[in-house]
Amino acid sequence: MSNNIDNSVLEVPGPDAFQCGALITDKHRKIIYANAYFSDELNWQIETLVGKSSDDLFSYSSKIFIESYLMPLLLHEKKCDEIQLALLDGNNKRISIIVNAKMDDQGKIYWSFFNATKRDKLYEELIETRKKLEAQAKILHSMSSTDDLTGLMNRREVNLRGPELINQAKRYTHTIALLMIDIDHFKQINDTYGHLEGDRVLTELGLRLKTFGRQTDLIARFGGEEFIMLLPDTDANEASLFAERLHKLMSEIEVNNIPVTVSIGITMSDGSQNLQELTKRADNALYKAKSNGRNRTEFDQQA
Amino acid sequence: MSFANEITTRNNVSILGSGEKTLLLAHGFGCDQNMWRFMLPALTAQYRVVLFDYVGSGHSELAHYDQVRYSSLEGYAQDVLDICEALNLQDVIFVGHSVSSTIGLIASIKKPNAFSQLIMICPSPCFLNIKPDYIGGFEKADLEELIDLMDKNYIGWANYLAPLVMGSNNSEKLVGELSGSFCSTDPLIAKTFAKATFFSDYRHLLKEAKHPVLIFQSSQDALASTDVGDYMLKQLPDAELRLINAEGHCLHMTHPDIINQALRAHIE
Repeated sequence: MSNNIDNSVLEVPGPDAFQCGALITDKHRKIIYANAYFSDELNWQIETLVGKSSDDLFSYSSKIFIESYLMPLLLHEKKCDEIQLALLDGNNKRISIIVNAKMDDQGKIYWSFFNATKRDKLYEELIETRKKLEAQAKILHSMSSTDDLTGLMNRREVNLRGPELINQAKRYTHTIALLMIDIDHFKQINDTYGHLEGDRVLTELGLRLKTFGRQTDLIARFGGEEFIMLLPDTDANEASLFAERLHKLMSEIEVNNIPVTVSIGITMSDGSQNLQELTKRADNALYKAKSNGRNRTEFDQQA
Repeated sequence: MSFANEITTRNNVSILGSGEKTLLLAHGFGCDQNMWRFMLPALTAQYRVVLFDYVGSGHSELAHYDQVRYSSLEGYAQDVLDICEALNLQDVIFVGHSVSSTIGLIASIKKPNAFSQLIMICPSPCFLNIKPDYIGGFEKADLEELIDLMDKNYIGWANYLAPLVMGSNNSEKLVGELSGSFCSTDPLIAKTFAKATFFSDYRHLLKEAKHPVLIFQSSQDALASTDVGDYMLKQLPDAELRLINAEGHCLHMTHPDIINQALRAHIE
């Protein structure tokens, strides 16, 4: 086999002169030609290489990539560009390469290999950085959506997720209940027993709400001693029962051996009002619960 | 939209040819239903042929992509069952390439009535070596390297950094136009499919097969060695194996005539 292309007009050097690997395989994947790059740079002996299967040139992971992408592409489109693989050199050492290849009508494949060692390093760094950033983004996201003290969602997150829940109610024609929960005489607890005691009450309340709610419920600390719950697919009866059980649950928390009580305002919606309107209505109901003596639930009458 | 229409659009289902018997062709990991194109002319002359793309592949509707569902092969099997239900398919002859053989097996055990037999092209129930009894061909490190390699080959894709920008909770918002190209999908989707395919072990299902199975085994296949074919033959209750003297993992693309002939002879 001659590596010299005979050109009567110009003395053109053959493929051996190029600083990249050139390889030809027959339709049985047998290597029938390899240029001098394989001996000069890849520690292969051309004589031992010719006759081998091209499968023998690649790492295991690259073989999967070849069978899943490169071969189907070649069979389908007759060529493929810019695929990164790991090539094994004559000493069985992995070398990152970029492969371009094309297939002719006889099923012969003309491969060109370009060293991609430096590019690979850059990619490794990119992947590593992305992993780090992903982890950071996760932490930041959780920090920006969570209330520090109770571990519940914060108001910001409610404003983000609430509208979607309300939309769902509208789309699937069910009713959604919005509850505003406010601790009775919280200021007094803080003033009499100190802020630490106030924090403990908030934390315990948060914990109970979290274990009590369903997975689909949206539960958040809305601010101060006020909590909000959005209960999808819930009718007024169920909401009322739910509130009743909440009152009981909250009384498990005691301050100076006296059970803590909460007031609850509820509004029902079919999804045709926005979050702001609904919180305002629930707030009005909550106000009514407070002025009717606290430790009770009132429904917003507009619903 | 009716369920049937929804599934047909979602999975880019196309029905070609006509005949008493229906073939359902399921593409493997990496590409889409175009893989079957070399086999189609002969098949559609004799059979009704149903083609589709799994959600996340080819021209399926990416809006339906669900990271959790498609993290295991059961999710893909549900695509197959959904298509059977949408088209009211019964006694269908399921033809699966590579991982789709396992996906078809899962589906056929779940809903036996929909299927009459399974044809598996270059199947493997488990790509991992599980020592000492089973040599799937790959060590865990090889497969991790594959995921890495996929990452590197997807660098330069516009949404390579998208998961960062959007946050991990918004994966459903990552949907975009798929490139028209045959073997390209969203990098996250492709990696999820790769993990579901190459890190799983469904050997235990072989014994539970409820239908006769015909295996096409390539004599030289880096992904599914002849040992894997022999293993499957032993484990399946009712199976036949055709060894095709060929190189590679895509017999349906490289040797469509041989597969078609054997397929027809087997079915008739």
